[in-house]
Amino acid sequence: MGYGIEGLNVYTGLAQIPVPELFAGRGLEHERLANLAMTHRSIGLPFEDPVTNAVNAAKPLVDALDPADREAVEVLITSTESGLDLSKSVASYVHEYLGLSRNCRVFEAKQACFRGDRRAQLATGYLASGASPGAKALVVATDVALVDARAGYAEPATGHGAAAVLLSDRPTVLELDLGAFGLYSYETLDSARPTPEFDIADVDRSLFAYLDCLTNSFADYRTRVEGADFLGTFDRLAMHTPFSGLVKAAHRKLMREAGASPAQAEEDFERRVRPSLAYPAQVGNLCSGSVYLALASLLATDPVDAALRIGLYSYGSGCSAEFFSGVAGPASAEAVRAMDIGGHLAGRRRLAFDEYTALLPENLRTLVPVENRTVDVDRYARYLPGDRTLLVHTRTKDYHRMYEWR
Amino acid sequence: MSDAVLTAIRSSVLVVLPEIEPEQVTEEVSLTDLGANSIDRVDVVTMTMDTLGISLSVTEFTDVHDIGSLARLLRRHTP
Repeated sequence: MGYGIEGLNVYTGLAQIPVPELFAGRGLEHERLANLAMTHRSIGLPFEDPVTNAVNAAKPLVDALDPADREAVEVLITSTESGLDLSKSVASYVHEYLGLSRNCRVFEAKQACFRGDRRAQLATGYLASGASPGAKALVVATDVALVDARAGYAEPATGHGAAAVLLSDRPTVLELDLGAFGLYSYETLDSARPTPEFDIADVDRSLFAYLDCLTNSFADYRTRVEGADFLGTFDRLAMHTPFSGLVKAAHRKLMREAGASPAQAEEDFERRVRPSLAYPAQVGNLCSGSVYLALASLLATDPVDAALRIGLYSYGSGCSAEFFSGVAGPASAEAVRAMDIGGHLAGRRRLAFDEYTALLPENLRTLVPVENRTVDVDRYARYLPGDRTLLVHTRTKDYHRMYEWR
Repeated sequence: MSDAVLTAIRSSVLVVLPEIEPEQVTEEVSLTDLGANSIDRVDVVTMTMDTLGISLSVTEFTDVHDIGSLARLLRRHTP
């Protein structure tokens, strides 16, 4: 019996700013746009937080389950670098608003952007252990952006949203290759979120660590999977995508290490990697959900007319990385396309630069713990889509976050 | 300016930044001075290590701030 991803959905927010407009507004060098290779960036709104993003990503997957299958969700893990409390998990709220069974394990995990993937691997291992036949696990990777002008070129690259992954013994979207994984982790301070109000990043260190971990986690994968090779084993690749230029550099590095010429690498990139970058280029770095945004992009924009083995790479600053793989096919593409992520991307409301900067002071307070606070949802109600109901953050009372469906 | 490490760095720079002339690649300048963006910089470093057949952890690069300090670090680890 196979195990893996039964359902995949990504919530990418309700507002966007064209990246060239953000470059112009900040006075960033236009020629560096090509390196980012991004067209738009998702922007959060004051009524959105890691809980609303997670619930809005997972709700369509949960709603599609019949009552018995919903009861079978006995593990809920939120993966985030946007925690709301040092003790209480984001998952506790998400569990409530998704209406999941009380007979469920609920917890939050953190390792920067090394997100849902590890959680998904561990949860899949649990499902495959036979400890609870028929059980399902829901992993939601959710984040908000804390960047402004101080972040320099990281500002236009940072996304907003969440990816939800439902795992079970019916892996319609991706059957994971159990036992096929490679790991690599060590301590370094390449990027971090030392307070709830800003991020720090050492760009060179972070890029180096990302590439170093790719080479070494793939080397570890090869020790576990006999005959695996970067050129021939995988039909497609989906990687954690801080920005497309880094994914291209990562692919080029592994191709070089596998003995391919620059021309081969270029052709291979267009065929095996390009489909995974369509959505990330419109969203920005989704942090802990990034590799799943790349996977959704691949499955929604590639023809996927046959079974494809997909190599996936996840990296989280600090740092910890994993290379793993799975098999998808036409039914996978159909399941992901039914979520209409592309339609929701196109439906985001466009922000002018001054509208964007006006949102920042309130957005940067999203994660700050306060005893009481009211969010003026009506002031931003024009951003809400008319065709679906979403969870919004309305207020915080005695440190307890309150939410409503709108 | 003629040792293997600096030659390897220079070759990598010329591949990554084709508009640069070989004599511009000196120990006194940084990759950023030569117009390298973040991807270019990491490409130069990883290609140079490949050429030299060495592999260093990111933590080793803490004091690297120009081509001279990069060359000194790589020389210490080159057989």
